[in-house]
Amino acid sequence: MTDTQRSPCGTQATRDVPGKSLRAAIIGVGRMGLTHLSILGGHPFLKITAAADGKSLITHAISKYRTDIRLYDDYQKMLRNEELDAVLIATPPDSHGPMIEAAMQSNLSIFVEKPFTLDAKEARRFAQRSVDQSKSFHQVGYVLRYTDVYIKLKELLQSNILGRIVCFQAEMLGCTVLRKENSAGWRGERKTGGGCLSEFGSHAVDMVVNLFGKPTQVTGSRLMPIYCEHVEDMVHSTLLYKNGTIGSVYANWSDPSYRKPVLRLNILGEEGRIEADLYGLKIFMNKEHPSFKKGWNTINLPDLMKPVPFYVRGTEFTRELYAFAEGVRDPSRYNACSFVDGADTQEVIEMIFLDADVEK
Amino acid sequence: MIQLDSLILGDNQFFGINHMSQGKGQQLAERFSDLNQVYKAYHTAHDLGIHAFMLNSNEKAGEICNYLRSHKSEFPGMVLYPSIPYPHKYANLVAEKGIAATIQDVLSGQSAMDLLGMATKGLGLLTGDLTKIMTLLVDVEMKIFKDLDFKAIYLQNIITDLLLGLEFKEIFIEYCRYVEKKYQATPGFLTMNIPKLSAFLNECGIHNATICGSVNKAGYLMSPDVAAYEDYFAKSQPYPITAMSILASGAIAPREAVTYVQSQGIQSIVFGASSRQHMLETMELILETAQH
Repeated sequence: MTDTQRSPCGTQATRDVPGKSLRAAIIGVGRMGLTHLSILGGHPFLKITAAADGKSLITHAISKYRTDIRLYDDYQKMLRNEELDAVLIATPPDSHGPMIEAAMQSNLSIFVEKPFTLDAKEARRFAQRSVDQSKSFHQVGYVLRYTDVYIKLKELLQSNILGRIVCFQAEMLGCTVLRKENSAGWRGERKTGGGCLSEFGSHAVDMVVNLFGKPTQVTGSRLMPIYCEHVEDMVHSTLLYKNGTIGSVYANWSDPSYRKPVLRLNILGEEGRIEADLYGLKIFMNKEHPSFKKGWNTINLPDLMKPVPFYVRGTEFTRELYAFAEGVRDPSRYNACSFVDGADTQEVIEMIFLDADVEK
Repeated sequence: MIQLDSLILGDNQFFGINHMSQGKGQQLAERFSDLNQVYKAYHTAHDLGIHAFMLNSNEKAGEICNYLRSHKSEFPGMVLYPSIPYPHKYANLVAEKGIAATIQDVLSGQSAMDLLGMATKGLGLLTGDLTKIMTLLVDVEMKIFKDLDFKAIYLQNIITDLLLGLEFKEIFIEYCRYVEKKYQATPGFLTMNIPKLSAFLNECGIHNATICGSVNKAGYLMSPDVAAYEDYFAKSQPYPITAMSILASGAIAPREAVTYVQSQGIQSIVFGASSRQHMLETMELILETAQH
């Protein structure tokens, strides 16, 4: 595998590529489905030809303004009737399971929004089948893996810049739920995928799994409601690794001091320290390094940010979907967030839930 | 065609929005949490000869507009460039409730009189006509700017770029028609995709719009890339352009940034400054560079 194949930012290569156009359908055109539809609007070879959702303002608008997209109210009917190469699933997480199952039976490439499923065992079964179905491409939508800062952070950690990792803290903070009435709908119940850990904190858990792998043990987990009645607004957990690394995950979607969601990481290794957030990286090296001076080094976002062919809500959503399109065309390409990765993350989420339930 | 002001004072600095660092953003948010500091900055800018202000319809903008209205005589020649909506308000609501419930929520927050005024268009909600709903939302967002002078009304880039990818032509056409007819203002679009948006507006048969987007040598927030922008600016431009993010969030020195923007034939810049010194320096720089 070449380096360009290994990078999750294979966007430049896809521009103006001649060849066969590939067809995809979207299940669910809410906020994320609409974003994906928009990003693929100008894609050079992956076209959305069908969409499935219940009647809504958005499906009405699609039927009116996008006559090139065939609309269905039943995704199974859509999968039966349409000739497709890929499907994008952007419905609430408790519906993912049967949709993934149906798409896998049709041997389609699949992009499924995070969290992958709500059941780690089911996620692992899909992951195993995904490994066997090498002719299609299966990706989970943990979009932060495609942000400029976290792509660079992963590169640095893979180059072992910090030596052995001693400890890390991952924080996911935002102001999504600030009132009691905010907790309505599927987000207000754990069994439908609601709550801060599945819906919001899963980004932090996934980044930890992406950078450090799965912990062997999870301990001291607490799930705390602040506004929600039935689910947590805050989660705190300690992750222990076989090699001695100790990490913590803290997620809170009820913190009004954050204007927009932020993922922050602080990593201490034997050779130095890295702080990462939306704005860039701060690297402290204990000794002189070929790329970094001894002491503090700052890399700001503008120096890391690589343009994408079409910008919608940040570069990461475009990079994520363009990587998926490349995968649909060539399933042997590097997959920065495969079903196996999604299952790993789902298992850690489940470990935190189980630990918190025991601790309670 | 709209005569854009050559220098427009932006508002990110007043609301703690800083793309360079969260710490810097927090410092600014703290300083400008006292709106008197914002008013003071507007007076300073106006005294220096900066009469154009871009203002997003966020939760503080209502109060700022009240001040500007009640002190209108102290700001002769002042012109606003409103940008709508405040995207995070909608993003949070949509995340919680979904799209349709958000729209209902926003509209139900209006007074009975306003709703009565909207009733003629209210049919849009029932029939699901997104173009009609869009005009209702424009009215909701524009209420705070009542009786203030404005030249253009910009649609925020998150909305512009989302709709651009969705290729909902009718929404763009109706937005432009509505803004011009109801508000006698030029329809504006903030975007991170200037060449693509320009081509699309042209396809829609829209000729009266103005575009504001990032222009900097670093290619920061410029999709697909700097080369495509430079190609675009090399041709005659169908839509007047205002450049933003010219410093690429601190990656480019001010003189180099201004020289680059002017080399692309762009005469209007929106910039962020919070002190008299900084405003003055930017003004002088632009005048000086333009003379060369």
